Amino acid sequence: MIEFIDIHKSFGPKHVLRGVSLTVEQGQVLYLVGSSGAGKSVLVKHLVGLLRPDSGRIVLDGRDITWLSEAEFYPVRKKCAMVFQNSTLFDSMTVLDNVALPYRKHHRLDRAEASRRALEKLALVDMEHAARRFPGDLGDGLRKRVAIARALTLDPEFVIFDEPTTGLDPVAAANVDQLIRSLRNDTGVTAIVVSHDLRSIFTVADRIAMIYEGHIRLDGTPEDFRRSADPVVSQFIHGRPDGPMKI
Amino acid sequence: MRNVLVGPVSVVGRASMGLMATLGGATMLLGRILRALLPPRFDRDEAWRQLYAVGVKSSAIVMVTALFVGAIMVIQTAFYVQRTGATSLLGFGVGFTVFAEIGPILIGLMFSGRVGANNTAELGTMVVTEQVDALRALAIDPIGYLVVPRFIAMIVMMLMLMALGDVFAIIGAALTADTLVGVDPSVLIGDILDSHLLDEYLLGLGKAFCFGVSISVLSCWYGLGVRGGATGVGRAVNNSVVANAAAIFFIDFVMGWIFPVGL
Repeated sequence: MIEFIDIHKSFGPKHVLRGVSLTVEQGQVLYLVGSSGAGKSVLVKHLVGLLRPDSGRIVLDGRDITWLSEAEFYPVRKKCAMVFQNSTLFDSMTVLDNVALPYRKHHRLDRAEASRRALEKLALVDMEHAARRFPGDLGDGLRKRVAIARALTLDPEFVIFDEPTTGLDPVAAANVDQLIRSLRNDTGVTAIVVSHDLRSIFTVADRIAMIYEGHIRLDGTPEDFRRSADPVVSQFIHGRPDGPMKI
Repeated sequence: MRNVLVGPVSVVGRASMGLMATLGGATMLLGRILRALLPPRFDRDEAWRQLYAVGVKSSAIVMVTALFVGAIMVIQTAFYVQRTGATSLLGFGVGFTVFAEIGPILIGLMFSGRVGANNTAELGTMVVTEQVDALRALAIDPIGYLVVPRFIAMIVMMLMLMALGDVFAIIGAALTADTLVGVDPSVLIGDILDSHLLDEYLLGLGKAFCFGVSISVLSCWYGLGVRGGATGVGRAVNNSVVANAAAIFFIDFVMGWIFPVGL
């Protein structure tokens, strides 16, 4: 279980997170939603130590990880993998080498064995056919799939997806949604998905938490969001340009 | 009146703070690199890739530079050699300046412009595209994976390119001496070998080692410190080239002072 407790984070004069508290239960697909710049990505980056809070605590499976050192964070990162918004594949390496890298570094496998295991992970996301290609030769949707395969090499208990469908065409986005769902069903991983893609949110989410003005505005099931009388939540989920939401 | 006084003071203060930040940051990075080397915890595949990228791809430009360095030394001294007839001093003059002074500086500057700038741009782009954060998220230490292989590759290749450059500088000098002064190449090379320039040669290699350290550390430090997208990468490359050039001249001055040769 992951607990964010009263997290505050500022960047210069901008107070992005103003006391966010959120719990993520094992086996859930939690969608973290909100307008652009609301602090969704900022919040999840705290979990893997890429950002540190100004105040507040982060507890992972009962252990306070807020102020671990960079080296102490490595085991946490193996447990909580992150798929970045821009895939962040290493463009000087082939797809296969990208996915094999964590095997070589963490399992001390030789190149042949690391490549064999990497191909297995690529097969999970139907990308083994692109193993010898470079990330620059692939479209956004395919790169996202490779990034997911690379994250899975850590055999994580939690996977953070940062805007996995942003910039994808509807078919590619639906494929990524399906992948997240099947990962949860097949491997039992807990997924935290940062998104403002309404179609994905209501297709895949077990639970949704909306960040607005640095706080959790609503935390509930997709049905709770549909029924919400909160004008801000209502404006967001219906994508209306006019309403009380401050952009 | 107050502004007239405060203005220059604040400019000097800001520049001093910037210099201290660079020196402090680069020193801390060097400390982290050395810690990752004892015991060695770096990616060997990446080290081999960097050795190839740094060395093989830089050798042509270093050879051309060195040929001209040797040629220029002969051109500069040819007039006096012809006037005085002291052709036997040509080999000593060329060897001394090429091995100890002009060779290391010019090859260091070429290396800094070719390899250091490229390194800053590559790391900076990796920072702004979140590839460095992705490494950290994969529980891979960016120092061990990205920086240490570059550090090793730049030092090793700076030394090897310096040794190669010395050879090509002598070839350039010999060809020019034959053409301009009428000194046979074998005579010039014989003069260089008879001049007992081992100290100068070792001093040049020592400088090359120090240049390799400073170019690798500064270029990595500026690359990893990039903020603000493409503009930030451009600014970092610019700062890296300027800082490396300044460091090369400073190191040359200090080493020339500590290890005086030819006296």
